[in-house]
This record gives sequence, structure tokens and C-alpha cells, in this order.
Amino acid sequence: MIEFENVSLGYGDKVIVREITLEIPDGKTLVILGGSGSGKSTLLKGVLGLLHCFSGRIVVNGAVVDSLTQNELLSYRQRIGMVFQEGALFDSMTVGENVGFWLWEHTDMTDSEIEARVRLLLSFVGLIDAINLYPGELSGGMKRRVAIARAMAPQDPLVMLYDEPTTGLDPFTSKSICDLIRQVQKEFGVSSLVVTHDLQDAFRVGDLFTFVKDGTLVVTGDRDAISKSTDPFVRTFLAI
Amino acid sequence: MLLDLLESIQSFSLMVYHAARYCVTNFRSREVLIQMDRIGVGSVPIVFLASLFAGLDMALQFEVVMAPYGAKALLGKVVATSIVRDMGPVMASLVMSARVTSGIASEVGMMQATSQIEALSVMGVDPVDQIVAPRILSGIVMMPILSVIGDFLGIFGGLVIAFLAAHIPAPLYWSGVREALTLPNMVNGAVKPLVFGFILTSVGCFYGMKAGGGAAMVGRTTTRAVVAAAVWILVANFLISKLLLNLWGNEG
Ligand SMILES: Nc1ncnc2c1ncn2[C@@H]1O[C@H](COP(=O)(O)OP(=O)(O)O)[C@@H](O)[C@H]1O
Ligand SMILES: [Mg+2]
Repeated sequence: MIEFENVSLGYGDKVIVREITLEIPDGKTLVILGGSGSGKSTLLKGVLGLLHCFSGRIVVNGAVVDSLTQNELLSYRQRIGMVFQEGALFDSMTVGENVGFWLWEHTDMTDSEIEARVRLLLSFVGLIDAINLYPGELSGGMKRRVAIARAMAPQDPLVMLYDEPTTGLDPFTSKSICDLIRQVQKEFGVSSLVVTHDLQDAFRVGDLFTFVKDGTLVVTGDRDAISKSTDPFVRTFLAI
Repeated sequence: MLLDLLESIQSFSLMVYHAARYCVTNFRSREVLIQMDRIGVGSVPIVFLASLFAGLDMALQFEVVMAPYGAKALLGKVVATSIVRDMGPVMASLVMSARVTSGIASEVGMMQATSQIEALSVMGVDPVDQIVAPRILSGIVMMPILSVIGDFLGIFGGLVIAFLAAHIPAPLYWSGVREALTLPNMVNGAVKPLVFGFILTSVGCFYGMKAGGGAAMVGRTTTRAVVAAAVWILVANFLISKLLLNLWGNEG
């Protein structure tokens, strides 16, 4: 469960996200839609505790992100499954090492236990054959899959976050990534936040939808509510 | 402007402090070995070539100056002294800054631009721990070794010129070299590469880590890092020379 209560976020003294209030219940996927530069990634940084709220607070499973101590923040982050824009895979590591990195760092599993889990995760995303390849040798879609597998490494994530998981992919690959996100959702049953600017992908993965424009939320609701919205920004978005 | 400088100094010191702490509390042997191989072993050929030609040239120039004074016999001592004290570590480090500092700055800068650094912190690992500490440690360990190789090659280059151009018998050259290998000179020759190895790698990491503005900025960041490393190496060289001269006087 993620709650945004009147949250404002930004960099330095520049306010990017303004007074946002949102609630994502357990097991639900909220899609954040908006043009580039509207503050979508900034919102995710707030959830990750990479930015402090100027005002308001973000509460994840009862914990107020801003009030965590440095150590609590580290262990909190360890339990967030984050899929970065473009994947952000570690170039110098193989696919297997990327997926196993978290386990290697934060558990005392043996090498063979880690390898078994890595293989399991990679077969879940359909990339077991790529285990020894480097990110540079993967296509865009494969990179996103590996990034999703890497984000799933903690067995009990608090939430899953996806930053533009389908941007730059062809429609066919996009659809398969969306299906994968749904599968992950079924597997973990936690709250998920998916950022995208593609409406079709949004409807594929989301239960709830919200539109961001210049750092403020325009409309929030399920597919029905969104479709019925008379807000001109949303109407333009739906018409594209 | 001044405030920016102070801020940079502060964040640089913090980075180094944390890196030093991680080297002790969370030693990453695998990363360190990889970096030692890349920074150290990978640099042997260029240090080899640069030092050889520096030695050849130095002997050539000194011989021209010294011959009229009938001081050719001193050539071995002069060449070896300047190589061990100064030219060896400086030459090797400057060549290394072109290879290692630029390599680190562009690699780390690219990691920054593609969110890999952010991904590390989100996965609960301090980037200074995973990225910076192993590189600085490898620089500090490998640079002295490379420097010794470079010194040897430079002195050997001097011998070639002494023998072929100045017609100094090899034993005479070598006895001059031995005279140059005094304790103060060797300490000088060991401390400098240690410090330079630190500068080479830490400057590369620092610029890479604070690279902002996406992939397009990585090139500019890299250039800045190399220039900064080269300048700091020369400044440090002067300061260490001065310090050790004060310590030991002019002996050696
Ligand atoms: N590290 C940063 N420092 C300062 N401004 C930033 C930083 N990152 C993003 N911004 C600014 O914040 C705004 C929103 O960025 P972002 O949240 O990345 O947008 P989106 O993900 O919706 O494309 C943009 O105007 C961007 O220039
Ligand atoms: Mg973004």
C-alpha cells in the first residue's frame, strides 16, 4: 500500500510535483500517465526516498519514507522492486550477475542457491538462455525483461515500481512486457506503480489511472472514470 | 565560484573518506582484482614504451650538456637519479592519466548517465563502496609497481644511449646508476607513484560520479577529469619533492 498525502517534491528549491494525494491499495496497479518532463520519474524518486518531500508525506506499508533513518532507508530500499527507465542494467556484469546482485549483496545464500534463484527468475521472464550475456548484447525488450527479473530478486518486495517499462519498444514487445508486468503482479500481489506515456500499455497493466500535468494530478480513477472524464487534457490524451 | 570549489573539496574528501572506510569494512576482492588487472596490467605496454623513450631522450640531452665538461662518466648517475626521483613516476602517471583517468571518468560517467549509479543506491549498495573504493585501491597498489617497471626501462634506455652514442662502457654507467639508488631517492620514487596512483583514480571517479546531463556530457567530463588529474599530479610532484628535500637535505 502506497499513500501520497499532499506531497510536493523537487530538486534544490525547484518544485516539480505539487501537492499530490494518491492511494494505491495492496494488489492494485496504478498507472501514472503524462508527457515527458511532467514529473513522473520524480514521483518515483520520492517513493524510493531519493528525494525529500517539500511538504506532505509518502507512506509505504505504514512507514513514512521521509522519517526513516539512513540505515532504515537502506533496508527499506532493499525491499523495493524498481525497474528503471531503459533498465539501468550494470554494463560490467552478465545478465546472471545483474539478477543475482541483490541476493549476493543482501542475503547469506550460497553461490549455488543464488544461481538457482537467478535461473528461476530468468525463466520467469523467459530469458534463461541469456544468463551469460552482457547487457550490451541484448535488445531493448530483453533488457527490460532482465531489469524486471533483477527487480524481483527480493522475495518479498513491499512495492514494485516501473519507470517507462515500454518506452522505445515496438508494439509487439511492449505488449509482452505488459503481460509480464501483470504476471509479476499476480506473483507478488503488492501495490505497483507504473509510469508510462502510452495509453494502450496503461490499460493493459493498470487497475487505476492518474494523469499528471506539470506536476499536478488531473484525474484519478479506474478505466471507466477516466474514459468519462471531461478534462480537456485527458480528452486530448485519450484521443491520441 | 569559491563556494563551488569548497563544496567540491568537501564532497571529494567525503568520497575518499568513505572509500577508505569501505576498503576496510567491506573489502571487495573480486572487484579489486578486476580493477588491478585493468588499471595495472593493462597499462604495462604504454608505461613500458613511454618510459623507454623518456630514458633514451634524457640520456641524449644530458650527454650533450655534460660532454663539454668531461662529465660523461656521471651520465648513469644523473639519468638514474632524475628517473627514479622525478621523471619515472611523473612520466608513467601522466601517460596513465590519459588511459586510466579517462577510462574511469567515462565509464563511471556513463553509469551515472544511464542511472546505473542510482540503481546501485536503490538496491541498497553505496556506489562509493562498489565503484570508487576498488578503483582507488587498485591505483594505489598498481602505480608503484608500474613505476618500478618504468624506472627500469628508462634507465635501460639511458644505457642504450650511453653505450651507443656517448661511448660510455656499460659497467661505468651501471656504477653511476647504483650510486643513484640511495635510500632518499628510492623513498622518493616509491612515495610519488603511490600518491599519483591515488590522484589518477580518485579524480576519475569523482568527475565520473558527479557527471550530470546525460550521455552527451560524458565526453566533456572525461576531458576535465584528465586535465585535472594531470595538473594535480604535477602539483603533488612538486610538493612531495619539496617535502622530501626538506626532510633529507640535498643528500643522494
Ligand atoms: N536531478 C535533477 N535536477 C534538477 N531538475 C531535474 C532533475 N531531474 C529531473 N529534473 C526536472 O524535473 C522535471 C521532471 O522530470 P521527470 O520527473 O524526470 O519527468 P518525467 O519522468 O515525467 O519525464 C523536468 O523538468 C526535469 O528537467
Ligand atoms: Mg522519466
